[in-house]
Amino acid sequence: MTRRFLTAEDVRRLGGPVIEVDEGTVVTPQALEAAAAMGAQIQTGGAGAPRPYTPPAPDRGPDAGRAMETLAHLPEPRGELAGGGMIVTTIGKNRPGVLAEITGFVAGHGCNIHKVSQEIVDGYFHLILTVDVPSSVHFADLKAGLEAMGGQDDFVVLAMHERVFRFMHRI
Amino acid sequence: MPPFTDHEVLELVRMVELETLDIRTTTLGINLMDCADPDLESTCEKVYAKVVHHASNLVATANEVAEEYGVPIVNKRIAVTPVSWIAGASGAKDLVPLAKAMDAAAKEVGVDFIAGYSSYVHKGFTRADQALFDSIPEALDVTDHVCSSVSLASTKAGINMDAVNRFTEVVMDTANRTADRGGLGACKLVCFSNVVEDNPFVAGAHIGVGEPETVLSVGVSGPGVVRGALARLSPDDDLRAVAEVIKATAFKITRMGELVGRETAKRLGTPFGIVDVSLAPTPAIGDSVADILELIGVDSTGAPGTTAALALLTDAVKKGGLMASSSVGGLSGAFIPVSEDQGMIEAVERGSLSLAKLEAMTTVCSVGLDMVAVPGDISRDTLMGIIADEMAVGMVNTKTTAVRIIPVPGLGPGQKVEWGGLLGTGIVQDPGQFGCEGLWRRAGRIPAPLQGYRN
Repeated sequence: MTRRFLTAEDVRRLGGPVIEVDEGTVVTPQALEAAAAMGAQIQTGGAGAPRPYTPPAPDRGPDAGRAMETLAHLPEPRGELAGGGMIVTTIGKNRPGVLAEITGFVAGHGCNIHKVSQEIVDGYFHLILTVDVPSSVHFADLKAGLEAMGGQDDFVVLAMHERVFRFMHRI
Repeated sequence: MPPFTDHEVLELVRMVELETLDIRTTTLGINLMDCADPDLESTCEKVYAKVVHHASNLVATANEVAEEYGVPIVNKRIAVTPVSWIAGASGAKDLVPLAKAMDAAAKEVGVDFIAGYSSYVHKGFTRADQALFDSIPEALDVTDHVCSSVSLASTKAGINMDAVNRFTEVVMDTANRTADRGGLGACKLVCFSNVVEDNPFVAGAHIGVGEPETVLSVGVSGPGVVRGALARLSPDDDLRAVAEVIKATAFKITRMGELVGRETAKRLGTPFGIVDVSLAPTPAIGDSVADILELIGVDSTGAPGTTAALALLTDAVKKGGLMASSSVGGLSGAFIPVSEDQGMIEAVERGSLSLAKLEAMTTVCSVGLDMVAVPGDISRDTLMGIIADEMAVGMVNTKTTAVRIIPVPGLGPGQKVEWGGLLGTGIVQDPGQFGCEGLWRRAGRIPAPLQGYRN
């Protein structure tokens, strides 16, 4: 019988020593307890290749394929992105070497700088970098590393995914 | 990669850093229809197991996307099928165990709220609906994360006044059961006219019959961003300029919501549902819809002109959102939850925002009477009348309206109650001295209006 769920009541009704469930069946925590209490084995894979039950991956339903779609009307490039873009904004007190420090960190991660914009007003600078992040670089780690730079009375860094800017500013 | 100008980059940085732009909620909808069972205990087991099964990585995934994209996601929530639909098979009269199962699942996966302790009774009750209504006060008292909503009216069906009467009693019982917390239970309870079946915002979130197995929707906010943009306009700019600024801002907010929503959905492997583009205020300074109305040009929210300003705001938000995304849904517009909006709290204190004016404002906002505190000793027919009036506004105007009203035990007009967190500060409003006992006694149903017959 195909089952979406195996409950404690099902376990008590079916009894042991072996309770066979389908690949996609979700066994409730209470059913696992009930089976353990009566020494029954819950297994899946059919008579041919039985194996102990492990929770299946969630079945998100027949529409789940839609999750992977890139819609044509959204401002996304066609095809898979090779990596990601990052926009790095930095504001702080100007001092020798600050630009080298930030760009050096980016270069150290194997990323290419696509565009630099910097202005200095009254001893303070703001710097905007557009960075190509290759797929081999872990985006979140790079972002966290950049944002940990500088500090109070020096400079602050904010790194954001380029897609946020594209979605917001391009029709 | 397309280049961005410094102005474009700094605009977004300002929105996030200074104007509290955020994704207010990512809500995972989970269909529970397959959890129905002749035994309520088994139903509860299935509900818990299914919610945990599908939502176990929701919080981690949303946090990962927020971190990577640099856009805060404030809340992670779950919306489920109205549970009265799955409880019917058991014939149980006490459905509190279902609420406890939902609450336990919410705690296990670490979400802020789970909503869908709900039923639709706009034309009548099933035995399960009746059991749900009877159990709401206890369910909202003994759980921490469960929200409840009911549909009482629609343009197609009219208003089920029997249900309005019963709901009124449920609100009063819920507030009284949670009297030690300022009637907090009623903050998690809402009724609707023209209920929205893909609403990601609590307390009214749930997923309707036409929704898929699972679906990820987002609610974006941003009163602070709209306020910031309007503050940069000259006070003498034409109202068309005001509308354009709001539209352009809503476009940008919506696009960010769609990006974050689609990315979260993709990582979870679930279809993306809708972006609800709603200006949802918080008690934080500057994150206020009232402030926007005052920037548009009223002296204090609730003053004459407020309804006109709010009409402009709601419409411009919808237009900007619709241009940005083909997946706009939910409630989308401007929320006016009184206790959650610092500007509205001040307007009530100042005496400019009355209950009557709030009702007028709900004819043009995107929801209804929201987070309104009234005296704990309000008569049941007066409270019923307030709810029925709001249901009628929705029914006749073919729009969604809701009522989330809290009779605060022991407090009278002008007194203050702190609910804490996003729920904010309630100031008890005066409902006046007259009621509608005759309407209560008659009960029955208000027939659907002419505009409901459009087939």
